[in-house]
Amino acid sequence: MKVNIRRTGPWLSLLMLLSLVLAACGGGSSSSQGQTLHVLIGYNSTYPTQQKQWMQQIASEFQKANGATIAWDTYSSSNEEQTKLQTSIVSGSGPDVFSFGTTFVPTAQATKGFTTLTDQDWKAVGGKDRFFQQQLTMSGSSPNQLIAVPWVMRPFAMAYNKDLFQKAGITAPPTTWTQFVQDAQKMTDPSAGVYGAEIDPSDTFDPWKIWWMFAEQMGGSFISQDLKTAQMNTPEAVQAVKFWFDWATTYKIVNPNAMAWKTGDALKAFANGKVGMQIMTTTTVTPTLQKSAVAGKYAFAPMPTVPYGMQQRPANGVPAATIVSGDMLAVADYSNVKDLAFKFINLVTEYQHQIQWTKTFGDLPANVQAANNLASTDPQTAAFIQAEQGATPTPFTGTWGPLEVALAGVSSKLANEVATNRYDPSHIKPLLDQANQQIQGQLH
Amino acid sequence: MERRDARLGARLATLEVTNMSTIQPLPETIPAPTVVLRPERGRKGIFGGRPMWLIWPSIFLLVVIIGIPLLIAIYISFLNLDQYTLRSWISAPWVGLANYVTALTSGSVVGASAVASLGVSLAFSLLTTLFITPIGILAALTVNTRYRGRTLVRSLYLVPYVIPTFVTALVWRQMFLNGTGLVDRFLAAIHVANINTYWLLGPNSFWAMVIADVWASWAFIYIMVLAGLQSISHEVYEAADVDGANSWQKLTRVVLPQLRHILGLALLLSTLYHFNNFTLPFVMFGTPPPIQADVLPLNIYVSSFQLFNFGLGGAMSVITLILMLIPGFLYLRALRLGEVTAS
Repeated sequence: MKVNIRRTGPWLSLLMLLSLVLAACGGGSSSSQGQTLHVLIGYNSTYPTQQKQWMQQIASEFQKANGATIAWDTYSSSNEEQTKLQTSIVSGSGPDVFSFGTTFVPTAQATKGFTTLTDQDWKAVGGKDRFFQQQLTMSGSSPNQLIAVPWVMRPFAMAYNKDLFQKAGITAPPTTWTQFVQDAQKMTDPSAGVYGAEIDPSDTFDPWKIWWMFAEQMGGSFISQDLKTAQMNTPEAVQAVKFWFDWATTYKIVNPNAMAWKTGDALKAFANGKVGMQIMTTTTVTPTLQKSAVAGKYAFAPMPTVPYGMQQRPANGVPAATIVSGDMLAVADYSNVKDLAFKFINLVTEYQHQIQWTKTFGDLPANVQAANNLASTDPQTAAFIQAEQGATPTPFTGTWGPLEVALAGVSSKLANEVATNRYDPSHIKPLLDQANQQIQGQLH
Repeated sequence: MERRDARLGARLATLEVTNMSTIQPLPETIPAPTVVLRPERGRKGIFGGRPMWLIWPSIFLLVVIIGIPLLIAIYISFLNLDQYTLRSWISAPWVGLANYVTALTSGSVVGASAVASLGVSLAFSLLTTLFITPIGILAALTVNTRYRGRTLVRSLYLVPYVIPTFVTALVWRQMFLNGTGLVDRFLAAIHVANINTYWLLGPNSFWAMVIADVWASWAFIYIMVLAGLQSISHEVYEAADVDGANSWQKLTRVVLPQLRHILGLALLLSTLYHFNNFTLPFVMFGTPPPIQADVLPLNIYVSSFQLFNFGLGGAMSVITLILMLIPGFLYLRALRLGEVTAS
């Protein structure tokens, strides 16, 4: 039989291409069906080797117990984390287990792309009692709508240089922001390049955390209780922003050339012994500091909780010293291996692995038993755990992620003004108004 | 003397026309032949019996890789697509032209407004191209003739171009840090600027971005021009020598006219590339960037992926696409590529 190649050619080529495309698209699902669990976690740039070893150990134990393998994927920045989450949600394929920060859980839940945990699911991951109750406040929008399981805690605190404290005659860390400014002024010596505090207004995340803390302590809140109204332009919010920039423009307690700094630049300055107090930091900086000029000369303390110019907090003020912070694990709704996903979460939140994680990477365990054990042997860990138990949760709204970015935009613009000598505190309110309007439009 | 120069000028002009015809597919002065199609007699009549089905895979791939995503982007630009509607994006609320209106009229608290970003991107791409063009041409001229070590110099010229943009941006970020960066230290040492001059914030951030990009991309013009120079026949230079042309006359009357088309293409590609450069400003400044360096691609990224306003990001992308098509279309028209191909 003679085949007319001109007629069959197009169909043949189309068929070949279609099969190629289908084969490519089907790759992910077939491996999932083959008992492979895909896990996405943050890359640990401080301990890359240890993280690799941890992954191998967990994968090995997981395979031994469940006969399934783990395919790891990592993200190196919050931008990458968000992009991977967005593409996975849209395409309905990607990692089975996602790790993300506590404040990103509301946004993740808003996408409706994650499994709402049932009682059976909680049982599979060790039960709710395994975890700190405070951490569970960021697990979901309501007690019966939880999507994320606490993995590790990372409370924020203040690191201070003991040598500079001693030199300035300061005996204890400040407990009010007035004392903080006074202590910082005592330590500041511009001729030696030493400043009592630091500021990093070009960072993406530090500005909102710091302003949120100031505003909460003064009785303000960025979002109303019913989560329907943006309140980022209240007098408390304006004062919070102004107070922070006053450190550079009025009190002169920070390096005047720090307007382009991000959190890494601030840490570098502290590690070089040029900063007296670094606020909004976590114990994860310990390895960096231990190898620096301030090794053995620094300590951590809770951040002050009394607003500047006040002897005590206003009646509606909240002693917010740290947000409920850390990493959580959530299972994608599209996952075909949810049972394996819960077994994985159960494994990494077990007592032994939580202890091991803390000893290796410095984060605190979200497992109550492990945390209490560590606290009983180390007073510093005990102080951090206590801080986390008193942590204040951020409003649980899907718009919180964009709110963080909007406030970073305000900070960047004000830093721009300070850097070019155009700063005027009266510019704060219009910028916050603009941010407020933008976020209000996204609140549901 | 003047008469000799005039004679030389006339001969060089003749030479230019003669040699232009050797590198052009068809001289512009010759009208393109009219293509007369025979009356259609099935497929053979149109395609001359050529196996046109062989291009079907390419067309299919173009549709899948470019056509469908483009249509999706256009569709998204008419939606109110955010974190709440992301999962079922096809049924996200339809908002008509609202995203386009927002893009063209509203400001943004994060970075610059879309219109301001458009201005930054245009200035950035045009200025960068303007600066790299003479650098690239001069660099190409220095390695066009044979000499000992020419291969090494050619390789060295390529170094900035082959370094990943990510690395280039990180290095320049460190160099532009105020107070501690090399740039401020150098400028302070020669008493030109204060050691604490900000380069990563304020108006200087735009120039920091331009300087870093010029450093990273001049080699593109160099490669294109060098390719053009290599195609110029040796006889042309010899003829110019015989006529007593000096180096400047050879450059302006022989070399540059012959490079006109390849240089035009290089400038077009360069402008488009710089307009769409995302990595450099993203790594140099992070997000949110200073408004003076908030180029349109970065603005689209922040709007879409950080503020979860995918509809607005889509509208800004479509506007960018339309703007980018204009120079490309004009260039193709100027070259009359369609007519040449048809002939």
